[in-house]
Amino acid sequence: MLGFLLRRLAASLILLVLVLTATFILMHLAPGDPTNREASRLTAEQRENLRRIYGLDRPLPEQYLRWMTSVALRGDFGISWSQQRPVADALKAALPPTLLLAFAALFVEYAIALPLGVAVARRPGSALDHGVRVVSLIIFSQPVFWLALMAILLFSQVWPVLPSSLMRSLGYEQMSPGERLLDLLRHLALPALVLGVWASGATLRLVRGSLLEVMSRDYIRTARAKGLSERRVVWVHGMRTALAPILQIFAVSLVGLLNGSLVAEVIFSWPGMGRLAFEAVLARDYPVVLATTALAAVFVLAANFLADVIHALADPRVRE
Amino acid sequence: MLTTTFLRSAGRLAPLLLATALLTAGAAGCDRREEPARPDGQAAQAAETPRRGGTIVTGWISEPNGVNEFIVPSNQPTNELLHQIFLQLVDERPDFEQHPPTFAPELARSYEFSPDHKTLTFHLRDDVLWSDGVPVTAEDVRFTWQAQTHPDVAWDNAFMKESITDAEVVDPHTVRFHFSHAYARQMLDVNEGMIIPKHAWEKLPFAQWRQSREWFKENLVVSGPFTVASWQPQQQVVLQRNERYFKKDRPLLDRVVMRVIPEQSTLMAELNSGQVDFVAQVGPGDAPSIRANPRLQLYAYWFSRLTVGVAWNLTREPFSDPEVRRALTLAIDRQSIADTLWGELGRVASSPISTGFWGHDRSLRPWPYDPEQAKRILAARGWKDSDGDGILDRNGKRFSFEILSNAGNQQRIDAGVMIQEQLKRIGIQVVPRVVEFNTMLEQADAGRFDAVTSGMTVDTGLDLTSYFHSRSVPPEGINFMRYSNPEVDRLIEQSLKVMEPQAAKPALDRIQQILHQDQPVTFLWESQRLSAASQRLRDAEPNVLRTLYNVEDWWVREP
Repeated sequence: MLGFLLRRLAASLILLVLVLTATFILMHLAPGDPTNREASRLTAEQRENLRRIYGLDRPLPEQYLRWMTSVALRGDFGISWSQQRPVADALKAALPPTLLLAFAALFVEYAIALPLGVAVARRPGSALDHGVRVVSLIIFSQPVFWLALMAILLFSQVWPVLPSSLMRSLGYEQMSPGERLLDLLRHLALPALVLGVWASGATLRLVRGSLLEVMSRDYIRTARAKGLSERRVVWVHGMRTALAPILQIFAVSLVGLLNGSLVAEVIFSWPGMGRLAFEAVLARDYPVVLATTALAAVFVLAANFLADVIHALADPRVRE
Repeated sequence: MLTTTFLRSAGRLAPLLLATALLTAGAAGCDRREEPARPDGQAAQAAETPRRGGTIVTGWISEPNGVNEFIVPSNQPTNELLHQIFLQLVDERPDFEQHPPTFAPELARSYEFSPDHKTLTFHLRDDVLWSDGVPVTAEDVRFTWQAQTHPDVAWDNAFMKESITDAEVVDPHTVRFHFSHAYARQMLDVNEGMIIPKHAWEKLPFAQWRQSREWFKENLVVSGPFTVASWQPQQQVVLQRNERYFKKDRPLLDRVVMRVIPEQSTLMAELNSGQVDFVAQVGPGDAPSIRANPRLQLYAYWFSRLTVGVAWNLTREPFSDPEVRRALTLAIDRQSIADTLWGELGRVASSPISTGFWGHDRSLRPWPYDPEQAKRILAARGWKDSDGDGILDRNGKRFSFEILSNAGNQQRIDAGVMIQEQLKRIGIQVVPRVVEFNTMLEQADAGRFDAVTSGMTVDTGLDLTSYFHSRSVPPEGINFMRYSNPEVDRLIEQSLKVMEPQAAKPALDRIQQILHQDQPVTFLWESQRLSAASQRLRDAEPNVLRTLYNVEDWWVREP
């Protein structure tokens, strides 16, 4: 088991270096550079000066090596060119809101997908099954931004119960801790619901499919034959096996939600990594782009690593 | 949430349609700089008495970049924020339509030029304090100039200070600028940039400024009407009345919130629901629904600095021939393009200096739409459809070219498609191509394009150097058309050399007439900009300089 984990870890690290190298090259191949801003009437001399301040005057391989060693040895991501502050500071500010939103959305996703998936798997072909299939298909085929706009229209305008933007209300500083928590939850509600409900469509299908397949196996028939309650058969015997593929997806769907959160961050004015990365790309702020890519890559690799571990734990054959 | 109860209604579908329409129409920001407006129906209630207190929530699609303008990229919210927290020597008035801009006293009570215009002396008020109680003095003005011109600070606009040789402190409240020579833009150049606090910011060496954006927020002292009460990144900046502001009865509002809402449809939804009171910039597509809403008011003002046109690559055949460029202009129905995209909010442009500027040559008339004449011109130059495929050709080469537009700027993309259709009628094949903004800039700078729909911004100093002077070919400037005309070069230099801006008018008129004949750019439109607000906001006068131009006079009907 340990050998397996080490092999997976080594593969992940190599992949990480490859991703970063590719991002570095792509960013520098893309047209434009941070000093050629629109409307800027920089003289050639000023431009050179800026390039010197931000280290852009060095040859590319040197820039690459400097960046890689500084990240690997000192954990230093450099200075953001568009934000004039250490990249680490920009990340520190943007990461918590994104994680909060992603985990909240993940919670919503599984809170819907698990019970509903099990319910329809137990009665395949029923009206409930068909109804859920149609509704989840419709929701999952909508673009997230459209769902988000509909949610704003419904819950902030027609029936104004929830705020449509930001993380806090204006009087936040004067609130008690309890009121602050409530205020945060109210602001979190719309983006988390939209992302969670949207993502639940596919997960629900997976839960249904996985459980249906398991429920036709012999040991389930045995469990039923020995007189266990249907509840116990489904939730204990059935789900234990059915959960393996779902857990694997769980890790990956966190990554999917981090992706989807860019749209939510923009439409709901939620602060976070998505907006940070997007604006950095437009500004050709290479250090921020590289750092956000690195972070995203670490997430994906960690999620996949976790999924592999879960899979290995659940299925001894994988370990060999 | 102070305002949520104000505008609230049930069952309206308009915002939804609006929202979806906006997703496709987002008026994107690729214009080189920003400008101001006038309220639609507010004159009627002019009798109301302003009251003190209250909060206004303003909405912006991007966040201010920081409080030190010399190191952060400039954008509209940054510029607007800076004017709320700092003072300039004098305040440029938005009166440039009839004559060169005039200046209202701000930090300086008065100013005077020496007879040879080579020194300019400002007499500062002696009652202005930084928010920590330290007086604002001539030392701050000198320190500001030092920062602006320091190579390690590398301010984008440092070129404006090139002709200033010294900022001399005569006494604590008198500062004298020395110039290498006299020229028209002296006042504009000397006044560019807010005065920053020496005692607070000199603690950080200039060499560290470019990596210390947050340090300046943490060490902020202000002199303007508002101070920064809190700054939530990517969310909002809360501005609070500065109790030490030198005008004791201003500002009227207690707080101005700058809320960042990157998605325009969310911004409009919040305006409709009353969570946002003022939106700095709305698209022309929103105008009808805002006008129709009795709880909202619309401000429309000519965006004088900007004209949009098709810029031709003069180094490529056949655009190197001015006759061909004139023929192309005649064959493009600019009136119908302006009408379609802007309606009453736009008009056909004829010059880089828009009709909203005193320097516009009023004798100029846009070329008519005359496709027949265009065909005759082209035929005389040898362009005929000799192979009968519907497309003109000459020496076996077809008249076919690409128009670049940048992704996200729907109006310019639409204009490209309309031009494609119109030129097809006289046998010219146009391929509109939409590329990412940085890509477009790079292709334009490198000269790898046929034509590009492009905005040209001219500031109130009416300096045409960077677009039309032959030495401004990239990378030295943004004359990506590669326009080169010795007479225009000379006239531009002449227009900048005069001592009084007014004296530049003959040269400016002549430049515009030459450009009109030469058509290095086929000018398409100039347009109005729109801001919108809730009716509870009174006495706002957004203009092209700043939408929050007179924010210290703004007031609200109820708290």
